[in-house]
Amino acid sequence: MRELTYTAAAREALAEQMAIDPTIFVVGEGIGPRGGNFMTTAGLYDLYGPMRLRDTPIAERGFIGLCTGAAMTGSRPVVDFMFLDFILDGMGELINQVAKIQYMSDGRLKMPIVLRGSIGVGGSAATHHSGNYYSIFAHIPGFKVVLPSTPYDAKGLFKTALRGNDPVMFLEHKLLLNTKGPVPEEDYEIPFGQARIARAGGKGCRATVVALASMVRKTLEACDQLAKDGIDIEVIDPRTVAPLDTDTILESLHKTGRLLIVDETFAPCGIGAEIAAQAVDRALDDLDAPVKRLNGAFAPTPYSPPLEAAMIPNATTIEAAIRDLLAE
Amino acid sequence: MAIEILVPRLGWTMEEGVFIRWLKQDGDPVAQGDLLFELEGDKAMTEVESMDAGILRIPPDSPEPGSTVLVGALLAYIVAAGEAAPFEQRSRGAEEKRRGGEEGESDVLPVPSSPLLPLTSAPPLPVSSAPTISPRARRVADELGLDWSKIKGSGRTGRIVEADVRAAAEAVQTVVAAAAVKEKSVAPVATQVAPVVAISGSATRAPLSATRRVIAERMSAGVHVAAPVTLTSDVDATELVRLREQLKNDKRALAIPSYTDLLAKIVAHALQEHPALNSRLEGNEIVTERAVHIGIAVDAERGLLVPVVRDAQAKTLLQIAAESAGLIARVREGKAGPDELRGSTFTITNLGMYDIDAFSPIINLPECAVLGMGRITPKQIVTLRPGTIDEVERVAVRRMMTLSLTFDHRLVDGAPAARFLQRVKQLVEQPYLWLVS
Repeated sequence: MRELTYTAAAREALAEQMAIDPTIFVVGEGIGPRGGNFMTTAGLYDLYGPMRLRDTPIAERGFIGLCTGAAMTGSRPVVDFMFLDFILDGMGELINQVAKIQYMSDGRLKMPIVLRGSIGVGGSAATHHSGNYYSIFAHIPGFKVVLPSTPYDAKGLFKTALRGNDPVMFLEHKLLLNTKGPVPEEDYEIPFGQARIARAGGKGCRATVVALASMVRKTLEACDQLAKDGIDIEVIDPRTVAPLDTDTILESLHKTGRLLIVDETFAPCGIGAEIAAQAVDRALDDLDAPVKRLNGAFAPTPYSPPLEAAMIPNATTIEAAIRDLLAE
Repeated sequence: MAIEILVPRLGWTMEEGVFIRWLKQDGDPVAQGDLLFELEGDKAMTEVESMDAGILRIPPDSPEPGSTVLVGALLAYIVAAGEAAPFEQRSRGAEEKRRGGEEGESDVLPVPSSPLLPLTSAPPLPVSSAPTISPRARRVADELGLDWSKIKGSGRTGRIVEADVRAAAEAVQTVVAAAAVKEKSVAPVATQVAPVVAISGSATRAPLSATRRVIAERMSAGVHVAAPVTLTSDVDATELVRLREQLKNDKRALAIPSYTDLLAKIVAHALQEHPALNSRLEGNEIVTERAVHIGIAVDAERGLLVPVVRDAQAKTLLQIAAESAGLIARVREGKAGPDELRGSTFTITNLGMYDIDAFSPIINLPECAVLGMGRITPKQIVTLRPGTIDEVERVAVRRMMTLSLTFDHRLVDGAPAARFLQRVKQLVEQPYLWLVS
């Protein structure tokens, strides 16, 4: 099967869906002729022209509101934030309008809007360009929050996002954008709320590790090291955090008895806390040890490269956290 | 504790500036927000304010007004009232050295630095001295009917984890204290894990094997966790003996049931009528099984093992006999599987072969009762003329057997247990009652 980069896979989904569905248009800074800061729309301006690839000024609150109105009145906007951090300017639009319109209109108004942007720590992007923030959106009723970790997932999940009627936060970790992986040529969708078992544990599997976004690859590296010592670990990638597939996680926990959640972003009130609470609520008698979380440091992201590297989990610290869990 | 006043970076690319002049003098008190000095950066002159309060101390080698300074250069200190400035301690030391101090002390005393911030960490929660167990391990222990309170935990904090429970269950295959023996019993042989026996003086010493330790724990639990009461009843087993003799003499009998098989069938029948004796305690619930799985205590090489005849209530006597024979053979050969050794709801143990009349068998937790069989022996039995106090109608010799039923008084009271035993007695004495169903 051919291999595509993560960005190219998502772009293929967008291009194919724009060909079928004339109501889709893209809005953002530099996404027109320039093709997007991260090449998210490279080549699409030539295919679909200025009506459907609209460059904007630096006015996020304004163009989020514009797209909210467009979505309510029958079109399907894709809002490309470049860095997700820039979405914060429009929190009022997002939480009070985008998330709630369908409820407030008793379903008469739909909100088929896709909000996409790059997230995550890396490349010394520092305090204002390294945000993750998905816990905040997962906490609000009305959003779907999607975190693909592979090119295959990026294409399938983006198709689902473009075909639904709900607001979708489509979040692409900046360190994953150039990673490559197998991507089928045919059309396919991946439903939201369906986790992927990134590494299946066999009999005698000792722990379940849930990993998000860029942590998936690092966790798999850690598991390769552990396998050399005969330690077998099952790794689950939820792929979407709203809705969150806790059933798959708890099925795995039933087998292994131990649970670790690896999430680059902060621990307090994060996805790991949500998973831990559900595990303790629904699967108490499956737990052979406390539920553990490995998160990035609870601090703004430093610019300095060694400090930046030190504040997020890596394969070595993930391996140590798994060994620590097994020692409980 | 002296606070350093450094040349600030006024612009993103600023690397140096011009120190214009001080707006306060050496020794002046300074409040937070007071203007301290003027500094010229890339674009403009700025009045720099103090972030701290204290006394301003300007060292003698501080930059002169009008001089170019690097960003980060030291200009002055803010100290607490009465505190010496760092440059004063330095010069004092240097002066002493000039005055001929013998010792080679360094002339720069370390600048007092801020105390190391204590590492913040949540205070450890008090660790309870009682044994702790993970929820999963507790569930597995309940499933296996194991008392976990004496298991040593391998988890951090001494917690008992699933692996510890499974290891303990593997080590013990048996529960009932008294050995039960079939027709041909093998004398107990020391197990392969038998540790070295040391002989010193007049005593022999042998460390407690894992198997023995777990048996000890389970026997102790059967007595101390349960509330055991033993009822005995002398039963006329003559008809049972007669039945068995007939089967023995029939050349075409498919199987010859042992007395244990016969009692297994009888007990299964009686338990259908007295289901309370087929229960177990799970947490705060009494779980009563409909199916009767009879554990039969067997003396094997490893020790006492209890293979299980499942669904005895649905099997004929001959089926039970054939199955128990197979189970016991496998147990003796060491080939019984773990599924054959667990899941009993009631246990029977027979010591008649050793001429034991009555005893107090220990309950096989989590079951609630165990039936001990004594030897069947001829005894003189007196029947009185009905309605009289002491007029003998008949003296006969009958084959008598004592049944000893230990039940767990936490779950079952004396009267229901006695009624069950009474029914068992009746079924032993009148086999037709269960043969026809």
